[in-house]
Amino acid sequence: MDVFSPKERLARVLGNEKVERPPVICPGGMMNAAVVEVMKKTGHTLPAGHYDTGMMTAIAQDVQINTGFENFGIPFCMTVEAEVLGSQIDYGTLECEPKIAKEKYLSVSQVEFKEIGAMSKNERVGAIIQAEHLLSKKYPDVPVIGSLTGPISTAASIVDPMSFLKELRKDPQNSHRVLDYVTLHLIDLARLMLDNGSTLISIADPTATGEILGPKMFREYAVPYLNRIVDAVHQMGANVIIHICGRMNSVEDYVAELRSNAISTDALVSLKLLKSKYPHLTTMGNLSTFLLQDGQADKIASHTQKLVHDGINIIAPACGLSTSTPLENILAMTQAVKEGEK
Amino acid sequence: MDKKEVLFQKLSDAVLEMETENTVMYAEEVIENGIDAFEAIDKGLSNGMNRAGQLFEEEEYFVPELLMCSDAMYAGLGILKPHIKLSTSADRFKVVIGVIKGDTHDIGKNLVKLMLETSDFDVIDLGRDVPPADFVRRAKEESASIICISTLMTTTMDGMSEVIHILNTENIRNQFKVMVGGGPISQNFCDKIGADGYSVNAADAVRLAKKLAGAEAALK
Repeated sequence: MDVFSPKERLARVLGNEKVERPPVICPGGMMNAAVVEVMKKTGHTLPAGHYDTGMMTAIAQDVQINTGFENFGIPFCMTVEAEVLGSQIDYGTLECEPKIAKEKYLSVSQVEFKEIGAMSKNERVGAIIQAEHLLSKKYPDVPVIGSLTGPISTAASIVDPMSFLKELRKDPQNSHRVLDYVTLHLIDLARLMLDNGSTLISIADPTATGEILGPKMFREYAVPYLNRIVDAVHQMGANVIIHICGRMNSVEDYVAELRSNAISTDALVSLKLLKSKYPHLTTMGNLSTFLLQDGQADKIASHTQKLVHDGINIIAPACGLSTSTPLENILAMTQAVKEGEK
Repeated sequence: MDKKEVLFQKLSDAVLEMETENTVMYAEEVIENGIDAFEAIDKGLSNGMNRAGQLFEEEEYFVPELLMCSDAMYAGLGILKPHIKLSTSADRFKVVIGVIKGDTHDIGKNLVKLMLETSDFDVIDLGRDVPPADFVRRAKEESASIICISTLMTTTMDGMSEVIHILNTENIRNQFKVMVGGGPISQNFCDKIGADGYSVNAADAVRLAKKLAGAEAALK
């Protein structure tokens, strides 16, 4: 018998309380665990699950039951925020996640500001929060994670990313205005998710990496807006996880300034070292998604156990899972955490 | 330093410092003084861009800075290019480049394109979300030497091996060098699918392209 329910265990870890073993989760959004094998097995499939409430709920449930991840993670993509703010979306296929077909604006100076409330009027947002509501009612012991695309990535999904990155330098005033605008809408989406049954919020901001932005831009543009969302979610009484992609060497000090309840990182980062350098951080990660896709089950189990042994607080994949990842491999990961060292 | 060398240095510095207006001003000075435009591109603009690439590798410049430098370089190029004597670029190697089907993330691809152009490759940009067959078709049409494929998403990596597969099926694999790159790609993956080379970033891609083009030239 487990000492804690999955929901209690995750809440305790995020609140810096003791647990008997780390939770093993996959938060949805960029880290979507709806792999093809699960969908083929159950017949509940994407891309319909990106906009149909029933299908979305069913897939989230299938994933949780089949993979052993101790949460629901919704949505399964990073495009809904940009869709609400005007960009064209290609919903992808069974194997391939949705993507931005065309950004709405060519420059930060052209962005037309929609009023707050736009999120709640979007049908896909409606499907997402309805699914979160249904899952939270049906499974009160399992955390429902509402996944958000971070402010920099959302901004670079509504403004052409090449212009956007240049304009961070060339036009800081409008860049800040757009980021401020995007952040307010993201907070609104987080509120909708939390009001409708989500237990916590997870933010992934893959464009906001040290490798792309460098330390100066990361400090000026990524940290403050991420922290604003974190503070707003904390005020709503919920926890937040932030995932940072890529190598972090150049921005480590600023990552440590993020006020989220946990920091999740890429496989390239040594969480053990990060933790020794910044003891206050609650760490999450970071099993290589290449290993998950191509590795042998026993190797996946031993790598997972090493993460547990290193004291990583929450065990999770290090990045977006390939949709062709074998279920057997995911199970090797989740079981290794649940069963401990044998 | 004579006047020419001083101007080249100023051009190079202006690109490196991301100063578009100054780059244009010095490029105009080159033309006014009857200095060879090709030499000014090579020793001024390209030199500045190469130095920017160097700073990028040393993690002093990041993507926004590199893009700003390229804006300055292209502004200068706009002034100088009409004055180049044509024969100089006859033996440039052609590269077709694109982001593989399923993915629309093209920041990395654009950086590689930019750095290759800076190094005097003739780059044909197929854009993003490009089907594997299109890489092959366009490479044949353009008589390209190198096919350069990028992706950021693990789900689309299979498309890269599909390109190689098509080349093999059509028995034309040895006519093209295939380079791969992007977030989830590794040397290991490159070897696995039988591509000719992997590069970790845009500056590295130029070195690889030069190496592959050199091998190509030796065969001809």
